[in-house]
Amino acid sequence: MNTINEQIHRVPLVLGDKSFKDVTDAIARPAEAKAPKWWVVGVLFSASVACILFAMIGYLIWDGVGVWGLNNPVGWGFAIVNFVFWVGIGHAGTLISAILFLFKQKWRTSINRFAEAMTIFAVICAGIFPGIHVGRIWLAYYLFPIPNSMAMWPNFKSALLWDVFAVSTYFTVSLLFWYVGLIPDLATFRDRAKTRVKRLAYGFFALGWSGSSRQWINYEKAYLILAAIATPLVLSVHSIVSFDFATSNLPGWHTTIFPPYFVAGAIFSGFAMVLTLLIIARKIFNLEDLVTIRHLENMNKFILATGTMVGYAYAMEFFMAWYSGNQYEAFAFVNRAFGPYAWAYWIMISCNVISPQFFWFRSLRTSIPVMFIISIFVNIGMWFERFVITVTSLHRDFLPSSWDYYTPTWVDIMTFVGSFGLFFSLFLLFLKFLPIISIAEVKGVMAIADPHHYESHTKKGGQL
Amino acid sequence: MSIFGYLCEVDNPKDLLDLSKKVYHAGYIKFDTYTPFPVHGIDKAMGIPLSRVPYLSLIGCLIGLTGAIALQVWTNGFDYPIALSGKPFVALPAFVPVTFELTILFTAFFTVFGMFAINKLPQWNQPIFNNESIKKATCSGFFLAISSDDKNFDIEKTKLFLERSGGKNIEAINH
Amino acid sequence: MTSKQLFPKWFNYLPIIVLVGLTLILGITIHLFWFWFSPKHLEVGYQPKQPIPFSHELHVNQVGMDCRYCHSNVEVSGHSNIPTTETCMNCHKTIKVDSPAIKTLTEYHNQKKPIDWVKVHMLPDYVYFNHAAHVNSGVSCVQCHGNVNKMTTVYQAKPLSMGWCLECHREPEKYLWPKEQVTNLDFRPDNQLKLGLQLKETYNVNPGEACSVCHR
Repeated sequence: MNTINEQIHRVPLVLGDKSFKDVTDAIARPAEAKAPKWWVVGVLFSASVACILFAMIGYLIWDGVGVWGLNNPVGWGFAIVNFVFWVGIGHAGTLISAILFLFKQKWRTSINRFAEAMTIFAVICAGIFPGIHVGRIWLAYYLFPIPNSMAMWPNFKSALLWDVFAVSTYFTVSLLFWYVGLIPDLATFRDRAKTRVKRLAYGFFALGWSGSSRQWINYEKAYLILAAIATPLVLSVHSIVSFDFATSNLPGWHTTIFPPYFVAGAIFSGFAMVLTLLIIARKIFNLEDLVTIRHLENMNKFILATGTMVGYAYAMEFFMAWYSGNQYEAFAFVNRAFGPYAWAYWIMISCNVISPQFFWFRSLRTSIPVMFIISIFVNIGMWFERFVITVTSLHRDFLPSSWDYYTPTWVDIMTFVGSFGLFFSLFLLFLKFLPIISIAEVKGVMAIADPHHYESHTKKGGQL
Repeated sequence: MSIFGYLCEVDNPKDLLDLSKKVYHAGYIKFDTYTPFPVHGIDKAMGIPLSRVPYLSLIGCLIGLTGAIALQVWTNGFDYPIALSGKPFVALPAFVPVTFELTILFTAFFTVFGMFAINKLPQWNQPIFNNESIKKATCSGFFLAISSDDKNFDIEKTKLFLERSGGKNIEAINH
Repeated sequence: MTSKQLFPKWFNYLPIIVLVGLTLILGITIHLFWFWFSPKHLEVGYQPKQPIPFSHELHVNQVGMDCRYCHSNVEVSGHSNIPTTETCMNCHKTIKVDSPAIKTLTEYHNQKKPIDWVKVHMLPDYVYFNHAAHVNSGVSCVQCHGNVNKMTTVYQAKPLSMGWCLECHREPEKYLWPKEQVTNLDFRPDNQLKLGLQLKETYNVNPGEACSVCHR
């Protein structure tokens, strides 16, 4: 049913006089057409970059964590920065798919699949880093409560263990959520597929979905419950990631503002990443009618809001450092802004706080080039935020004799670059082989999907 | 019975609702409709009771909740107590995050796999897939099928009833 | 129009097949790691060939020597020593000097070289283990090394895993003997539990379970 709000003039979610078949055709086209050249080149390129990641991991395991730039006070470097960065990216996906679903924001339907896929691939990239950061990865099973010959159990009172549970639950639930959403669309692909191999492959994962209404009833209920539990989950995950820092006693980390500040930052960076990818994808696949300017503008509003929240958090950290009267806390923050890592701090401030402010102007937040550039800036800025938090707090610890400067080695940098290769490889495979927009859900929000539409003939198909 | 039932098509969601109501009021129980997206109000028209999935979710939630607390209290409090971080062995506040995550995890498992179980998924081989036209149901078609298992099913009368009620392209679902 | 089914009928049973298969695989994996990859399986029974076929069975059971004649530091030091060649020569200067094994021994002694015994009971470097602390609290040699008095060639009898250490650290009363019986490897008390509880009190045995007890 349409809410009263949507009866007032709003830009429709699906442009043009489209039938159900048109929507299916438009979304299935990229998967059915022959792979374009740019795609083949893109996959080959990103797969080779991903190979760098695996080579670097192999080298790390072979040689030990000494190949990284970690030193004595700075025991957490690129690996942790990248972990928090990638986990944060993932949050927008769950936010769009779950929270906006609960709030019945119908505009989410054409971007949620895309964002969820991004979540899963980002969490895969994120999960690699703490995994290899433990050094002796063959002992990583210590993290899970598995009976072993040491008669030892994990320490459930440690924030680092909470993180293991939070991230693995987050990945599992996101994957289930994504897959459940995909089932009807996989059935659509199965029924359209031209070759037997495709029919069998899509058919296998469609689990024999027939579109039965008796199944839809349970399906919708399950999807709603998943959305309802994914909402607190997504808020908890980055809160728990922030506990990794906040439960320690290091000035610059030991602050109660961390959980909400991390969650806002995560949504901020995630939306920026969705925006970057979506702008490219809608152009390439001619999906301008399904992913409209209204969608992009809504996302820009989110970026503006969360970017401002992040800016507020930066300011509040300084305020608390002064107001608490704790000289160590005060030093940590003055050192952040004017110490050896001031360059990183000011990159962070200009990208995260200043650049989204352009979105106050409608002309700028509806301009594709402007939003593309700003989304890139935000991506960069949010990586630097994690760098600033992790490294600047550590490099000046309580013992001045151990103060040091952290510089990443080439292995650090290539591992990070390689993680982008993995991310984009997975993403390009997704673009080619899976429905990048939720077909069933888009049909569900079209005017012609509403049985009442056929009672009054004043409305036209596809538009309100 | 030589056939599994009858399959017929209608043009749009509204016609499907109307047809479903007629079929339901004619006393048929074992019938189903096939649509590319969940049609609003179809559950009432077909007389489908409320979904049982939420009960399974609740069971999963409770298993996750109690299981997580039991795991942590038993491992960290009794089986291998470690004196760490100045907390008591059974430190309930410190157990909250893992308890929360496992509750969510089990709820999700029970919701998804419970939904599969109720829907009898995966079921790759179904009689309905014997008909070529059902493939349209995942794209733009709206279908209704009455099973021959229904006690009111009659090979002639049911077909006639569907024709009169507005069903188009009536086909038998063959073996 | 009829269409052919995409999947055969037996495919509908796949979830059950997969479920059973997964349970089996999971069970096998757990068994694999829990038993086959644990010291209980990998370490117990380790019996390397020694440079000289020294028989504990002969020296202890038949000759009647005490453990501490050779491993003389066990009561006073954290490290229990392997005897020096000189200790062997105390007797073997005159006893069985013509046997080939003793000739090898004499060779080592004349060249002033230690015998390169192969170490059997190995603990990781990150574990601190103090022999004196254990022996003086009534933990017999046999608890960790098995009945060495019956071994012609020494082998590892116990897993020496952390879980195994903890078994005793948690319930020492199940293993404690009177101090004067620790080197009597065939001693078995009539009522271990009663004796153990009593000795635990007398010797004031309070083995720690915290990480830093062993990982210092």
